[in-house]
Amino acid sequence: MTDEDDRRHKGERRIPSEKDKTAMPRRAHDSGRVRAAIRTELEEVADQNERKQPFADSQTRVIALENISLSFEEPILENVSFDAKEGETVVVVGESGTGKSTILKLVLRLLIPDKGRVSIDGEDITHLTFDDALKVRQKMGMVFQGAALFDSMTVYENVAYPLREHTKLREDEIEARVREKLQFVDLEPEKVMDQMPSELSGGMKKRVGIARGLANNPEIMLYDEPTSGLDPLTTATITYLIVKLQRELGVTSVVVSHDIRSSFRMASKIALLANKRIAFFGTPEEMTGSDDPYICEFLGGF
Amino acid sequence: MEYPLPCQDGKGTLTSHHHPHHLILQSFNDSAKRGVSSLQEFFVLAGKALGFIFVKPFYTADLFQQMDVIGVGSLGIVLLTGFFTGMVLALQTSVQLQALGQTALLGKLLASAMVRELGPVLAGLMVAGRVGSGIAAQLGSMRVTEQIDALNTLGTDPIKKLVTPRVLASLIMLPVLTIINDFVGILGGNVIAKFYLGLPASLYWRTVYEQLLSGGFTLRYIPNDFVQGLAKPFVFGGIISLVACYHGLKTSGGTEGVGLATTRTVVTASILILVVDYFLTQILLTLFQP
Repeated sequence: MTDEDDRRHKGERRIPSEKDKTAMPRRAHDSGRVRAAIRTELEEVADQNERKQPFADSQTRVIALENISLSFEEPILENVSFDAKEGETVVVVGESGTGKSTILKLVLRLLIPDKGRVSIDGEDITHLTFDDALKVRQKMGMVFQGAALFDSMTVYENVAYPLREHTKLREDEIEARVREKLQFVDLEPEKVMDQMPSELSGGMKKRVGIARGLANNPEIMLYDEPTSGLDPLTTATITYLIVKLQRELGVTSVVVSHDIRSSFRMASKIALLANKRIAFFGTPEEMTGSDDPYICEFLGGF
Repeated sequence: MEYPLPCQDGKGTLTSHHHPHHLILQSFNDSAKRGVSSLQEFFVLAGKALGFIFVKPFYTADLFQQMDVIGVGSLGIVLLTGFFTGMVLALQTSVQLQALGQTALLGKLLASAMVRELGPVLAGLMVAGRVGSGIAAQLGSMRVTEQIDALNTLGTDPIKKLVTPRVLASLIMLPVLTIINDFVGILGGNVIAKFYLGLPASLYWRTVYEQLLSGGFTLRYIPNDFVQGLAKPFVFGGIISLVACYHGLKTSGGTEGVGLATTRTVVTASILILVVDYFLTQILLTLFQP
């Protein structure tokens, strides 16, 4: 067992070292080199997963949705079940408007299902009071589609927000944590800390969003369309970040996406949502091996 | 004549219990239900927002920021409207008073009109336009850009963080703005008294003073006119901020929705101010009139 695995099993958080920074290519550089570097990173990750399967034996279901049904004016989800075990990244894919984002809101308990139950760490969160739900949400970091940074606050205040809300850290500790998280998402703290969200590019906003989600060291990360509206290069960088998060911090993630290519790169499992139901739930390999006509059509579309 | 689909059965014929008249009743029923549930939501929001004033954590920095935005920010328009309203009111009544030979009454008239009625209502309407629309637009854009969800996700109650400071700031600042509005209004009257009627300032201010003290006192020292004049803006402050927060938080449908929320806020708050003002005046008059 390597040092890396050892740390992960102890649940320790690794502070990104100088080496990581060089390993992560800057996007301004020669794009070919960058792409190659990202590809090797991802392949390396894939190889590692294949060889060691670090969490395959862990049967702890961190997130579990059981027989969820939900309707507003009309049914959105019917009898949806899937789970994410510790350290897994489950990507929920599906056509637009199939209620993918609703699933994240259910996990966050921003919505309550009509039927079925959602559990986090084995605890049923369906019937929690509003205040208890706020507490459960502290275990989770959420990255919104449009980053949803607070536009009245600077980048620093945005990332520091969850720390100020929920911890009694001193200001210097908060600053250290903010710097650490910004470095983790490959932003230079000196440059961006005092900027307002409106001054950032789409990719940078997303990274700050990830840094904010990470600030509290959550055990669960949720991403809503992390790569939508980004150019292919930034998409690759964000995908790489999500993989890096899973690998280095061992967080359990649910990603909602319609970007199949990047989904395959980061997924431990894929849940295909079609016609309000889960049409498929399994590993990417199982998905490509499937001969279900809808899955073939869905994959063929890309 | 064709009727919408929901009343048709599978074969495309109108089913007996869905008579056309029932459709009208049905839609009336639906909109009534929607109205009642909106009203309920509004009062739940109001209850929570006011309740959170006394519950930790207190977002003091947000409160002071909002007091600055709502109070200090509205100072300019309140000064302007107050001053000109005082002047125009003085000008109009001067003509009448001159005809009656009672120009010395100008101070009394201005004082009671500004303090009891015009000060609170004008300040309320101006703040509804300026601050109400601002709050609705801000919370509305926070809603459509998922910042409200983000707050929830980060473990913060958006009502406590966003609504309570705004409501509390309005409750505090609107009476303050009204006092300023009253004062500049009466000052505007003084300008007309001096330059149009040639009334000495000392006489004008003495009549103002007499008028304010003539209505009797609450708790021995507080003139009843002041109680009336300050109870109103307090209520208006609550109306404006709560209506704005309600519409802001309920925003849906992107940027268009933000525009709608803003419009609805200004319209609803302005109408409510005028209507509530009437009933409040009735109540206050029965309570405080000797």
